[in-house]
Order: sequence, then structure tokens, then C-alpha cells
Amino acid sequence: MRRILPVAALAGMLSLASHAEAQTATAQCPNGVTTLSLLKPLNNPVFPEQIAAYRALNPCVSIDVSEVPFGQLADKISVLAAAGTLPDILVYDGPNTQSYASAGILEPMERFFPPGLREDILPATLAEHSFEGRIYSPGLQQTTLALFYNADMLRAAGIAEPPRTLDQAWTWPQAMEAFARCQQGSGDNVTVWGLAPSRFGTGQPGFVYRDLLFLRTFGNPTAPQDSTAFRTFFGISPDGRTAQGWLNTPEAVQGATFFRDMFNTARITPRSGIPNAFQDGKACFTIDVSFLVAGLRTRDPGFAWGVTPLPHARTPIVHTGSLTLGVSARSRHVEEAARFVMAVSTGPIALQYARTSGTLPVLLSLYPQLPALGEYPLNIFAQALREWGHPRPPSSRFAQYDKIVSDALRDIAYGADPKTRLDAAVRSLALVLRR
Amino acid sequence: MTRTARKVAHWATILAFVGPFLGFLLVFQYWPLVQMVNDSLYDFSLLNPARRTFVGIENYTWAFTDPDRIQAFQVTFGLAIGTICLILPVSFLLAVYLNGKLPARGIIRTIVFLPVITSAVVIATMWTFLLDANNGLLNSALTALGLPRGLFLTDKVQALPSVIMMTLWQQTGFATVLFLSGLQGIPQELEDAAHVDGATAWQRLRFITVPLLIRTTVFVVVIMTAFALQAFAPALIMTGGGPEGMTNFVAYDIYKLAFILEAPGLASAVSVIFTLIVLAISLLQMRLLRARWNY
Repeated sequence: MRRILPVAALAGMLSLASHAEAQTATAQCPNGVTTLSLLKPLNNPVFPEQIAAYRALNPCVSIDVSEVPFGQLADKISVLAAAGTLPDILVYDGPNTQSYASAGILEPMERFFPPGLREDILPATLAEHSFEGRIYSPGLQQTTLALFYNADMLRAAGIAEPPRTLDQAWTWPQAMEAFARCQQGSGDNVTVWGLAPSRFGTGQPGFVYRDLLFLRTFGNPTAPQDSTAFRTFFGISPDGRTAQGWLNTPEAVQGATFFRDMFNTARITPRSGIPNAFQDGKACFTIDVSFLVAGLRTRDPGFAWGVTPLPHARTPIVHTGSLTLGVSARSRHVEEAARFVMAVSTGPIALQYARTSGTLPVLLSLYPQLPALGEYPLNIFAQALREWGHPRPPSSRFAQYDKIVSDALRDIAYGADPKTRLDAAVRSLALVLRR
Repeated sequence: MTRTARKVAHWATILAFVGPFLGFLLVFQYWPLVQMVNDSLYDFSLLNPARRTFVGIENYTWAFTDPDRIQAFQVTFGLAIGTICLILPVSFLLAVYLNGKLPARGIIRTIVFLPVITSAVVIATMWTFLLDANNGLLNSALTALGLPRGLFLTDKVQALPSVIMMTLWQQTGFATVLFLSGLQGIPQELEDAAHVDGATAWQRLRFITVPLLIRTTVFVVVIMTAFALQAFAPALIMTGGGPEGMTNFVAYDIYKLAFILEAPGLASAVSVIFTLIVLAISLLQMRLLRARWNY
């Protein structure tokens, strides 16, 4: 007993000390300062300015920020969830909403929504952040893809200025012709590639956000619902439980074959990554997000550049989805955390963030207040987001879908038979989607 | 002091020395193994491990029948066999060479051993650049020699041999040092006696050196097999397990199942199977390659 007492006393003191940290009263905060823990990816929102803006209005809340590299974010959240040590607020990749919601680690947020907010959110974002009728995040930012080009190289190759409006967007065959004409060198001696390699993920081809579009564009959302064209466009069944007959349709195989030929037959893009290939003048075109506009304006690449809508085959489509904020369902401060998430995602802090970051907001009401989004080249992204934007195939197993399909697309880029490889991906998906 | 008191003191001393390490071993080695076996009987996700369903041996049935898992085992053993088949002769010959009276022997030994103490992540990253299909140093060298360029890590056929070559470069130093210590343990009298009997250098190598190195060889084979079966960094950093699963080594596959595909139950089942296979291989190797004589 004599030995147990000091241990118990120490434990009690530690417990009191940790409790006191959150509860210490000050003149400004008579009920104490509440500390909210927040996990976010490195060099990504939420930024110190956003936190400072919130704290200026809410001095009785402090934010304890932890950061991990973006590539480790999902793993970190999994491990923290397994250990029962999730932070109060999570900054996570929007397409994972359904995974986290189905596992019960996110708090539904609609009860914190002011009137009219739901209608103000971009439909694609709303779909991405919803699960079984509940909304788990208002969304923080959006981005999407377009085709950047080196105007000097195009002029030298005798290629006419690419279109600047969605209704005149190139088809993939037109784009391929431009890639081939602009490319310099051939075989093993290419000095300038037609299309830059992907800079998403590890730099290998196959990243779903970019490369699944090559398959989905061969689909048609207005076709009958039992048709393969309709199914190709969505890539997964509406309940997110199967990809059989959705990912390996004849149209998807056609898209995958087109994708494979870019690397192996036409050879207008390399198999492995070249960092900053477009900015360094090693590629005529690149498929990239709206952030690159700010990057090119900040650091002049030394050539004239432009943006054209992403080419399409049968149906124009761009993927939506970006980082967003959610509240841990296991938080002891759900109300306070939700208030922070709402303040950062809406209102003046969201407007200021959109102004300074150059990202596309998820709230439609913010667009008129951001004139730059109505002007070239950002208007292409903003329009594409509204008119062509679709979430990546939503499922409560999105992370698994993303990995398996990315691997399949990478292998197809490396020369695998599209039909065989897509069938294999569907077989792998069958296991994880049904669990 | 009575006999009983002495016995108690004796055991107390033993426990005091061994106890802490035994405790660590139990907590960090054997308890996770028990937990792994337990987890392998459930279906659950890391995001919510409390929500789990007992599935019995279903995870094992799946691990034995799923083509991706079977391929993971095949390529892992392919890596182990390929590495050992190359590393044994290369490191043995290097050891024989370094066992001679060479100038700057110490420096050469250091150079050979250096990759062993370099981080696996650094090596994998470095070889990714070397083997890059577009701008890799190896392709530049091949082009300069007028040879066709390779696709290496982006080709289904070339990816595994590329990783084997990297592992060979990385582990040769360790195997060489082991062989070197074995060579230096062979009594000089045996060599001298054979020399007096008129044995040629080749005969001395074949009938004295190689047989007497059998214990070292067993050790090298077991250690190199263990290293190869643990291969993780090449798949994570260089290939992502591709192309078409050709470098999807079991250690990476287990990580992928647990943390990316959110199936820790399946990952645990594969881990249990893999542990048993590795154990069986090690026992078999030690039995088949055991020394039949001593010196």
C-alpha cells in the first residue's frame, strides 16, 4: 500500500496538471483557454494566418498544430484512430470523407451549418463530403485540372493557340496531334516531351486524380443507366460496393488503351517522372492544377505560357476534391472544434484565404467577390469545376480504390494489357469493397 | 546461509540480470506475435479496430488462394534465390582476393563494406536515380557504350533483376566480411600440408578451403535469405510494388494490406504464414548445409 500511494499521487498530479492546462482561467477567459489539437499536412492549410484570424475573434481557444508530409497523412490518421488518439480537428483529403465517416471517426457537421450554407456549397464538393445523407465537412478549398502549355514552343512548332473556352476544348486526338508536333527528338533522344509526366503522388503515372480521367472521359453520364458507357463514366457502383462492370467496361478498356499508347506507341510522355519538366522547358504541355498559375506568376519560367481546358474523348470531365477540415467524433471539444472548422471554412476567413492563396473556394457565393476567378486563366478552372467537375469515384473504401486503381493505371502506362490489368484491379477491389 | 536461501539468491541474481531483457522480449517480441495471431482471425479496419468481426480461418484461406498474395510470395523468394545465387560466388571470390597480401587492403575492405552500413532508404533512392528509364546514369552509360537502353524499374521483366542487382551491391560487403573471417580461421597447416603433397591452388581451394568454409556458408545463406525476405524499401521507394506486382515483396504487401488497404486482419494472416515459412526455410537451410566435419 505504501508503494502504491506515491504512484497514485503522481498520477493524480499529472492528471490535474493536464486538466489545468485546458482550464486555467484568465481575466480574458474566465472559463479558461480551450486547446484544440489539429493535424494537418505540411505546407498546406490550415496556415498560421487563418489560425491567427480565428484567435483574434476567439482568444479563449488555442490551436495545437501537428504536421506530417501529405504522403503520410492518411497513414497517420489510420494509426491515430487505431490508437484512439485522434486530434480534435483533422485536415484531410476530401475523397476520404466516406471512409472516415463509415468508420465513425468524423462528426456530422450539418447541425453547425447556418441557413443556406448547404445550397451554397459546390454540388461536387457536397457529394464528396456526404455519407448516408449526412455532411461531414463544409469544404475548405477546391482545385481541378487543366492543360498548361508553353506558348513559345507551340508557336515554334506552328501550332495554333489552343482554345480558352470550355465549349471549344480540344478532344484527346487533337491534343495528341499537338503533343506529337511540339515534341523535340524521338526514340531515346527526346529533349522536349509533348506532355510532361505526372507530378502527382510519387511522380509515377497512374495517379487516380489525373489519370483515371483518361478512362472516365470515354463514358457518358447521359446514357441509359445500365449501359457500359454510363458505368464507365462513374467507375464504381452508386453504393460504392463493386467495380465489376464499372471499371472494366469496353469503354474503360478503350480509354486505358489510349492512355497506354501515349507512353508506348505515340511516346509523347515519359514513363518516369521529371521534376518540374514543364517549368524547366522539358515539356510543351502539362496537366496540372490551378495552383500552378500562382507558381508561374511568382517565379517566371522565362517563356510565355497559357492554359486550355482539359481535353476530352466522349464526355468532358475533371476531378474535384482537395484538402478539407473535419471534426473527430471522439473529440472532447466537438462544439469548439466545429466552431473553428466552420469559421475557417466560411465567412471572412475563407474569403481572405481564397484571395491570398489563389485556390478555388467551395462556396459559390464567394466567386463574385473574387474577380480573378472570372478572368483568364483561372476562369477556365472555375468554369471546369462548376460544369465538368465530378468527385473521384466515391466509396467508403476510397483510399483502397485509389491505391488499387492507381497501381493498375501505372502498370498500363508501363505496357500492361489494359483489359487484363483492369480485370485484375476489379478482382482486387472486390475483396476490399465488399468488406 | 541455508541451502534454500542460497538457491533463492542464485535465482534472484539470474532474474535481476535476465529479467529486464526477458521483459522487453516478451512485451515487444512475443506479445505482438500473439496479438498478430489473434488479429489474423478477425476482419477489422485500423480506423475503427473496436468494430471487428470474427472470421476464423477465412483470412488464411484468402491468403493462400488470392493470386496477388501468391505472386508476392513468389517474387520475394525470387529475390532471395537470385540474391543468394549471385552473392555467394561474388562475395567468396572477393573474400579470397582480399585475404591475399594486397596493398591498401584496409581501404578496399572499407569500400566493399560501405554499402552495408548505408541506410536502405538512401540506397533505394540512389538506385532509383541510377535506374531511371529516362535520365538514369546507367542508361547514359549504356548509350555511351552503344548498347540499347533499359527500362529497368518500369518494365515487368527487368524490375526484379534490377532490385536483385541493387541488393547484391548492398549486401556483398557483409557476406565478404563473413567469408573473410571464415578464411582467416582455416588453419594454415592444412594449406601447407596440401602444398607439400603437391596440390595445386585450384585443388587447395576446392578440397580444403570450400569444404572448411561450410559453416560460414550456412551462416551467409541464412543471413542473406533473412535480409532478402525482409525487403521493403525497394518496393516502397523504387517501384510501389510494380510493375504488375513483380516487386510486390511480402513485407511491403503486408504494409500495404494493413495501412493502405485497411485490412490488418488479412495483413496479420499473411504475416503469420510468412513467419512460419521463413522459420521453416531457416531450419531447412541449417539442416541441409550443416557441417559434417570439424577442425
